[in-house]
Amino acid sequence: MTSERHIDGSQGEGGGQVLRTSLALSAITGTPVRVTRVRAGRSKSGLLRQHLTALRAAAEISGARVEGDELGSQTLRFTPGRVRAGRYHFAVGTAGSACLVCQTVLPMLLMADGPSEVVFEGGTHAMGAPSFDFFARVFVPLLRRMGAELEVTLERHGFYPAGGGRFVLRVQPVRAWTPLSLVEPAPLRVTGLTALVANLPFVVAQRELAHAGDALGVPAELRRGMGVKSPGPGNVLMVELASEHGTEQVTAFGRRGVSAEAVAQGAVVETEALLRAGVSVGPHLADQLLLPMALAGGGALRTTPLTLHSRTNLAVIQQFMPLSISDEADGSGVTTLTLRGTA
Amino acid sequence: MKRVVFGYYGATLDAIGRGEKRWQKWRPSVSLCQHDDFLVDRFELLHDRRNTRAATALAEDVLQVSPETDVRLRVLDFRDPWDFEEVFAGLHQLARGYAFDQEREEYLVHITTGTHVMQICWFLLTESRHFPAKLIQTSPLRREPREGGDVAGTYRVIDLDLSRYDSLAKRFGEEREESLDFLKSGIKTRNAAFNQLIEGIERVALRSREPILLTGPTGAGKSQLAARIYQLRKSRGFIKGPLVEVNCATLRGDGAMSALFGHVKGAFTGAASDRKGLLRAADGGTLFLDEIGELGLDEQAMLLRAIEEKRFLPVGTDKEARSDFELIAGTNQDLAEAVAAGRFREDLLARIQLWSFELPGLAARREDIEPNLDYELSRASERLGTHVTLNSEARARFLEFAVSPSASWRGNFRDLNAAVLRMSTLAAAGRIDVAHVHDETERLARSWRRPRAPGDDPLALLGEVLTQAQRADLDPFDAVQLAEVVRVCRTASSLSDAGRQLFAVSRTKKKSSNDADRLRKYLARFGLRWEEVAARA
Repeated sequence: MTSERHIDGSQGEGGGQVLRTSLALSAITGTPVRVTRVRAGRSKSGLLRQHLTALRAAAEISGARVEGDELGSQTLRFTPGRVRAGRYHFAVGTAGSACLVCQTVLPMLLMADGPSEVVFEGGTHAMGAPSFDFFARVFVPLLRRMGAELEVTLERHGFYPAGGGRFVLRVQPVRAWTPLSLVEPAPLRVTGLTALVANLPFVVAQRELAHAGDALGVPAELRRGMGVKSPGPGNVLMVELASEHGTEQVTAFGRRGVSAEAVAQGAVVETEALLRAGVSVGPHLADQLLLPMALAGGGALRTTPLTLHSRTNLAVIQQFMPLSISDEADGSGVTTLTLRGTA
Repeated sequence: MKRVVFGYYGATLDAIGRGEKRWQKWRPSVSLCQHDDFLVDRFELLHDRRNTRAATALAEDVLQVSPETDVRLRVLDFRDPWDFEEVFAGLHQLARGYAFDQEREEYLVHITTGTHVMQICWFLLTESRHFPAKLIQTSPLRREPREGGDVAGTYRVIDLDLSRYDSLAKRFGEEREESLDFLKSGIKTRNAAFNQLIEGIERVALRSREPILLTGPTGAGKSQLAARIYQLRKSRGFIKGPLVEVNCATLRGDGAMSALFGHVKGAFTGAASDRKGLLRAADGGTLFLDEIGELGLDEQAMLLRAIEEKRFLPVGTDKEARSDFELIAGTNQDLAEAVAAGRFREDLLARIQLWSFELPGLAARREDIEPNLDYELSRASERLGTHVTLNSEARARFLEFAVSPSASWRGNFRDLNAAVLRMSTLAAAGRIDVAHVHDETERLARSWRRPRAPGDDPLALLGEVLTQAQRADLDPFDAVQLAEVVRVCRTASSLSDAGRQLFAVSRTKKKSSNDADRLRKYLARFGLRWEEVAARA
């Protein structure tokens, strides 16, 4: 039996990512883990409902014994059993991100003993989390390039506060990992704009497209407005980008009391920063790729300077896997991150 | 621990309709399940049969935002949800029939939805622990949310166990201290048994309207305590009427009936006009019957009726009079013994001794002599209009005597009061010194000492049973008579024996006589008990 790892949940950025990465690697490596000071220092400290859902999902798939799986709990012990492929169904309350639950369990299923089919319910486009579209169009293709066989299908959009979104993940275990190499300079360019509205006037989408499209110089034929079905109201604006290495995406969420133009402007600012940086992998995508790269035994990518979020994530990964990390920043702020398994 | 919430479908707040706009509105029952740091494991959603469809739709919305929640719809119909009796009965029945499992589940009652009457009923049933729950209150964000449009609003859990709220507990503690202090007339008593007794009295005084019986020797402070209980109750708004105080030993024959219950004009010779009587005077207030053991049997019977039915018959009429009063009774007799001897009604005793408190004599509370000394000094200052002081040596000397076993404090607080008053009066400019204390302790000791040869000085006997103040109050006429009575008592074998001797002539002229009773009442006029008088023999 592998000895228990102790993860300080308050390290670095100290959010839910520490917990999600710990659970995934604990299950995959069969290493019991004790996480303390979970989300310490946040205004609502300890486990929130979406973390609890992720924890219980991870426990179900890995047959883990869990202590401290209570709302508000700041200390938990997760003792995994064997990861089992199969059919699962997880629902997140409060329109919390179903994608984050998926992010927690997907690495386990990539390392499982057979194919799995998982239904996720809750928020598909939730603020502060990767949206389903980012997940499906940006992240999944890169996973495939690393050797994974998976597909995700959206059945219904879910926005805050009503939630009610739903998507299905079908995934095969990875037979052979291919380390990812995204180090050759390959600048991004905007390839399209998509505005989604559910149960809101379509003019919201039109205004967002007009503002962002004009600012970013996107031709009219690449601007797309879509009315989607969802139990409640919702709106997102997505800027689609691509490079020789693959796609990227910037997402902005419509909110009550914030004008369509202001939402669009947020997306414009973030897109311009990404374009200016001259990288093909933005900070959010880089963060998402760290765990798969570690599982693949290595990889390299060119991105913006590592965020605290990413550094924290790496530190947690290193507590489970022997990994050498190098990140070299050039004069213009572009960082080349290289991971190499040392086992 | 599972969290279970009881709530009623809010026909106003929860009912926003089926349109998508409902998600932008604050709906208490849904919002309750939308907090990321608060999880409802089971929601017992009560609703009127007429609202079944709407409540079902609401339950679906709850499930959508909170798939973890097991929503259970329960029909609870009210013909009139503003009818207190009906709503209370309905919720009460729900509580009685519900299988609470406090080992595994914690309960909350959501009071934001439903009528105000329902809120009150939820509160009452929770406070009485019929619902072993805390209350939960939800509210929308006060301002239109700018960021993220958080329709979940806020929630607040209210635990009705007030002891959990430090500041409230402290405030109640202070209030309690104040009332205890008040009952003790501000005297910082140290005797644990006495302080406990006062705490008991405080609780009863503020929670019960039943009669209170104060027992204890003469001078133990019954009458002062009764007045304090009355004032405490009055200050808290429990009573509005006056305090009517009477010593039953002063009530005689027909006069007793009339004094207590009143009479109508012409009821008997001399009844020239209507008399209200003490009970009616105490209507809405407190009646303090001191020496209740001295009350005649007829008066006892009428009093019992007045206590139980708040009605009684004034003398000379069949028309009932009413009075609603709270009774405090005092006695220095053993009323159980009086019942056994047929002098006191057993049913009346049962009625008045529900809350019975025995005040110890001063000799049993020697540690309280010092604080009481200070109290008496301040009272004397008030009375004499000068600031009375006791220098430290004099104080030490007095206390040394006061707490010594040789000080019997037979007259209890009356003795202490008289001693301080005497010293204060004699001391120049109110400054009591060792010499005054010396004289006073001698005087006290003398008054408590048994005479060597009874009969040498017939009046010396009085010094043994009366305090100096009482003695000074006595007319020579009464002094001689009382001295003789005491002498007979000392030699008699029993109360009845003494009575027979003392009323030897008049008793032969009566068909029946109760000499013992006559004697007891006679002694009571001087605040004396047979036991006290005879014990010296």
